[in-house]
Amino acid sequence: MIYRETGNFVTNYLKDRDIFSMTFDKVVVILGLLYLFLWVPTTSEYFLSAHVIPILAVGLATVGLNILTGLTGQLSLGTAGFMCVGAFGTYNLMLRVPDGLMSLPVALLLSGIAAGFVGVVFGLPAIRIKGFYLLVSTLAAQYFVWWFFNSYAWFLNYESSGVVAIAPKFYDYWGLGNLLGVDMQGYPARYLLALTICIGLSYFAKNLLRSNTGRNFMSVRDRDIAASVMGISVPRAKLLAFFISCFYCGVAGGIYSFLYIGNVDLMIYGVDRSFTILFMLIIGGLGSISGSWLGAIFVYEFPIIFTFIGDFIFQGAFNTAVVENVSNMVYGIFIIALLIREPGGFAALWGTTKQKLRMWPYPH
Amino acid sequence: MGFDFVYLIEVVVGGLLSGVMYSLVAIGFVLIYKSSGIFNFAQGTMLLFASLTFVKMTENGIGFWTALFIASGIMVIVGVATEKFVMRPLANQDLLALFMATVGLATFQEGFAQFMWDSDVHGLQMNKFIDISLLDSNPIFISDYIPWLDLLIPRFDIFASLVAGTLIVVLAFFFQKTNTGMALRAVSDDHMAAMAVGIPLQKVWAIVWAVTGIIALVSGLLWAERVSVSFTLIEAVMKALPVILIGGLTSIPGAIIGGLVIGVGEKLGEIYLADLFGGQGIELWFAYFMALMFLVVRPQGMFGEKLIERV
Amino acid sequence: MSDILKVENVTLQFGGVKAITDISFNVKEGEVCAVIGPNGAGKSSMLNVINGVYLPQIGTVTYNGVTRKTINPRDAAIAGMARTFQNIALFQGMTVLENIMTGRNLFMKSTWLEQGLNIGRAREDERVNRLAVEKVIKFLQIESIRKTPVAKLPYGLQKRVELGRALVAEPKILLLDEPMAGMNLEEKADMSCFILEINKEQGITTVMIEHDMGVVMDISDHVVVLDYGKKIGDGTPSEVMANQDVIDAYLGVSH
Repeated sequence: MIYRETGNFVTNYLKDRDIFSMTFDKVVVILGLLYLFLWVPTTSEYFLSAHVIPILAVGLATVGLNILTGLTGQLSLGTAGFMCVGAFGTYNLMLRVPDGLMSLPVALLLSGIAAGFVGVVFGLPAIRIKGFYLLVSTLAAQYFVWWFFNSYAWFLNYESSGVVAIAPKFYDYWGLGNLLGVDMQGYPARYLLALTICIGLSYFAKNLLRSNTGRNFMSVRDRDIAASVMGISVPRAKLLAFFISCFYCGVAGGIYSFLYIGNVDLMIYGVDRSFTILFMLIIGGLGSISGSWLGAIFVYEFPIIFTFIGDFIFQGAFNTAVVENVSNMVYGIFIIALLIREPGGFAALWGTTKQKLRMWPYPH
Repeated sequence: MGFDFVYLIEVVVGGLLSGVMYSLVAIGFVLIYKSSGIFNFAQGTMLLFASLTFVKMTENGIGFWTALFIASGIMVIVGVATEKFVMRPLANQDLLALFMATVGLATFQEGFAQFMWDSDVHGLQMNKFIDISLLDSNPIFISDYIPWLDLLIPRFDIFASLVAGTLIVVLAFFFQKTNTGMALRAVSDDHMAAMAVGIPLQKVWAIVWAVTGIIALVSGLLWAERVSVSFTLIEAVMKALPVILIGGLTSIPGAIIGGLVIGVGEKLGEIYLADLFGGQGIELWFAYFMALMFLVVRPQGMFGEKLIERV
Repeated sequence: MSDILKVENVTLQFGGVKAITDISFNVKEGEVCAVIGPNGAGKSSMLNVINGVYLPQIGTVTYNGVTRKTINPRDAAIAGMARTFQNIALFQGMTVLENIMTGRNLFMKSTWLEQGLNIGRAREDERVNRLAVEKVIKFLQIESIRKTPVAKLPYGLQKRVELGRALVAEPKILLLDEPMAGMNLEEKADMSCFILEINKEQGITTVMIEHDMGVVMDISDHVVVLDYGKKIGDGTPSEVMANQDVIDAYLGVSH
């Protein structure tokens, strides 16, 4: 199979915008989707629950952060705070709104919108404050949101332990599960919901990137004065970026709590989570949606693989502290190395590989 | 019930003293930003690394002053190595990339420090090593000196302030009066011009990072005494961020005043405003909110350089 | 022909430095007006005032019959002003095509939701505006580099792309800040042709800052001369060239 573009001519402008222009790519994508939707749900519960679903959650958050930081250039350390809004929002909607009116997908969507609005509030200072100074705003969001949900126990339904396990009935969408005889709380069902959302939102993000809005975002990132001189409303672009980005993070938070962990727990949305997602973003490559997914997979899987190597080869020599520390070192080294050699991150590396594939067997 | 004026003074004084600690950390940030435009996110982890190294040495029987000396040496090496292997290869990239490099560096240092030594919490008590009355654990009762002022001030806070103050004076002297200090200021103003008059950029940057390493050690030790050495040290130090942002990223006096403002503001907020927000622990975010309000009014901080965008 | 642009008594100060002192001049609709003068004379600042990037302490700018102290740069764009910058303000993270497409942002009708879903008006927007952009790309002869990231282009081509980005907005008045800086003879000839054609064929008024006297004499209808922030000459190219003050300024006679 030769990976070539020859004979593949674009006949109109809309075709020029196709995401996958080569037939080979199109086929791979369709096969991939079939694989993801039909085959993966049949894999082991452990695989789904410990690997796939969490990556879907953090990957989506990374895509969200990408829209804000990678595309629009607004530095954010508040990602986990927005995820938190999503998680708590979903929980409270499911808990308090009568069953007939609310179901999990709807709750995820609405809490995402809530997170989006919270993002806009904390994004308002971005109109005046530029550059690194903006870090204050998102850090304020992170700490404030955390403190808010910690102080008002109502949000956790006065659960004294600080952690709420999510009731099984929350997983069913208006009795659909009973109708189809499917266990909606089971991991395959959870996985399919997460997958659908992630693929849908990634597609949306990719389109956004290539559209007028995406270009506006990037112009704000690159040269905001020139952008305003051309008629682009910089404040509007920034706030819209905050809204969309935090929407994504909110939904990701809901997915993380509901579909992965099964608990609503404040501890998992601390500032270190924000950093982890930032690492995923940087390693994956700013400005690239596929990069965000690659980065998420790498950062999430590395400690697991490392532990596995430890157990397998060194007979359990690596305890959790060692794994965590080595992981941090590796992330740090990767970030610095990538910045020096390939600032586009894994996405750029992948792009170069594809380039080489298209040329193969010629070197250039 | 009358307003407890004396208590207010105690809170303010307490705030000022803790503010000095923030300032110290902030100065490390400002130094590097001033001379190279890099926002060194790894400042906090440098503190951790420095204090952890020191503590491990003293716990293994090495004397205070020896350990201090060795730790200083190590931090100088760390600083210079960072400049050489991380910053220099990235010299031609934009500031966002450099910032992300320091984020990477911070993560690396966090992992490395705990990997090399360990992740336990280590207490540090300097009065075990230095026998001066200032390090005595009894607080000073101001009422001993001024009868109507019934305040308690922890001795250590005074000690820390003195150390910090001394360091600041030394740095100020260094910048204003010495040739190297002047070279540093030249570099921070305009790299190209500095190079044009023959100032060795690389040497200057190496010095800056080395000095920052030392500052990290000093502030690390002071902080360690207060909150013990563990990775939560980093969180406490993250509070220095609002300090620099209020004071202006490019100003040392700004870092000092910013630190005091945040220190006092935090304490006042915690005590007097907590009820308004119906919860404890608003000091978690209060500092950031203060900085936010401030920056909205004055986006470049108190003494920061106003960003005049030339088109 | 009426005046499309009137600058009246504009004074601009940065702290203690007066960049522009009491400058007035008019630009007729459809003409090519060159603003010349030694370095530091305040030419870029003047352009920035017209465009709304700087706020003058004194004076007004009348554009299209509306007199204002200053204008929001965004409103200026909507009112038909487009410009290029002295140090090239292209968006370095995007390709040539994307950069020029940003110039069409005021013509886009779809919302971000439609764009994210790639439906309806979003697709039309991309198609219709791509057509307009391609016309400009063809005019400027930059078809071969349309998918190249702008950061990889040589200086001269970047300047051409920037002109394209300004042009594609279908402006009424084009403000060009040293459009030919750093170009060789051939590139300058090309650029002059483009500017002339834009002006003559499409009737777009052009105000340009330029250093090359040959170019100024060849293509401008009206010349305004600045020196040390003050206007020292205003008229046709030949009038201005004969003006003793102008000659003195360029030859460096001490003030």
